[in-house]
Amino acid sequence: MDPGEEFEALTVQHLDSLHAYARLLSRDRPASKDLLQEALLRAFRAFGSYKRQLSFKVWMFTIMKNVSVDWARGVRVRLLAGGWRESEEWFAAGHGEDPTPSSLPLDPEQVLIRNVTVEQVREAIKNLPPGLREVVELREIEGLSYQSIAEVIGHPIGTVMSRLYRGRNVLRVLLREASSDTVISRRAHGV
Amino acid sequence: MVCDLARRRFFPYLDGELAAEEQASLEGHLSCCPDCQRLIHLERTFRARYLDHLRPDPAPETVRREVSRLLNGLSDHHPGGSGGRHRRSSTIRSVAVAVGVCLVLGGATLGVAVRRWWSGTSASLVRLAEASVEQHQKLTRGLLPYDVRGMSPRQMERWFRGKLDFDVNLPELPRKNLALLGGRVSSLRDIEVAALHYQLDGKDVSLFVMPLEKYRQLGLAGTPKFKIVTYQGYDVIAWASHGVAYSLVSEIGGQSCLVCHSPEERLDFPTGFRAHGML
Ligand SMILES: [Zn+2]
Repeated sequence: MDPGEEFEALTVQHLDSLHAYARLLSRDRPASKDLLQEALLRAFRAFGSYKRQLSFKVWMFTIMKNVSVDWARGVRVRLLAGGWRESEEWFAAGHGEDPTPSSLPLDPEQVLIRNVTVEQVREAIKNLPPGLREVVELREIEGLSYQSIAEVIGHPIGTVMSRLYRGRNVLRVLLREASSDTVISRRAHGV
Repeated sequence: MVCDLARRRFFPYLDGELAAEEQASLEGHLSCCPDCQRLIHLERTFRARYLDHLRPDPAPETVRREVSRLLNGLSDHHPGGSGGRHRRSSTIRSVAVAVGVCLVLGGATLGVAVRRWWSGTSASLVRLAEASVEQHQKLTRGLLPYDVRGMSPRQMERWFRGKLDFDVNLPELPRKNLALLGGRVSSLRDIEVAALHYQLDGKDVSLFVMPLEKYRQLGLAGTPKFKIVTYQGYDVIAWASHGVAYSLVSEIGGQSCLVCHSPEERLDFPTGFRAHGML
């Protein structure tokens, strides 16, 4: 298979994941399409240096993250993604980063008793604060290792672990509150 | 091991991310602690019932189509790598040719200026050309939607006002066979620009308007006024004028200048630059 065909095949194979991550990085705004395309063009140009032992998905995620960081640093932030900046500002404000070493995983029993649906879990993940949603999605939906997540988000593994820890606990709090669909969908629409 | 320490390791344990030693010690604790056994069972149930079923949302059909169009457009080129190096060197050669033309035809004074520019700013120019060509391709292939279309140049100028930190002044359309198809706020790398898509005799021409300050930061504001480069088969002309800078992309060389100028107008180009058959 020539490199062009290989690139195309890999892109098509992982398109759902690439699209989902673009949406995440652009806060579900329409700019996600621009972000995805820009990342694909960059990746195509750099495909010669792509090492096959690395997962294509992780490699693409890293490029997408770089595109979103570049955009957020530029003036386009107010029109485009901005997800990176919002997320970093959120952490800078002292949220989320605290690993609260004494805290324990919240027992999932309440969630199990409520018998929420997979759809509600998916919706609750989307309602997590920006930086927490990112690590939770990369782990729970994309199945990335801690090391891969660290490479994609550009933070050490310790940060990945503390964000994931907190993200999972916040998710459980959201799901415990989800006595019916209404709670989550109200949050989803920012009401 | 105490229960709190064990529970704090539940997540990495179930993620398969614990070191062998930590894993053995946790499993040792689990084998003799009914409370922790119960909790880890709940964790496993939670995973099996919910997390294991999570998949990324399917990409919508519109996105699939757009990506497929993009990939088709790319299939004419080789992906980056050894092929990329070849293209880069031919690009540099094109810059050299353009400079050469100016040197031969521009006389000694211009020659000195050009040589200085060539040594210092060619990399910036190639980067600007690369970004401009990429945007041109996306605009003309419909991969970047217009923010506005079907407007006169004056209406378009008004639309851009307030959306960018600089004024966008567009030429009136001096020719019947010239159409302004649409515009959008776009970016050449990290430079926010007004992107305009024209057609001249059915040929695509993109004009990008950017703040002069950014153009200066690229080191491109000096002489010669018009920088000309061929990148991946596209002709890119960059210049600054009246407080803003422009980058013009087409496959029709200097003819694209007719987007702004009537054919009769005398253009302030480097000597020897002709509106047709440039390079
Ligand atoms: Zn215990």
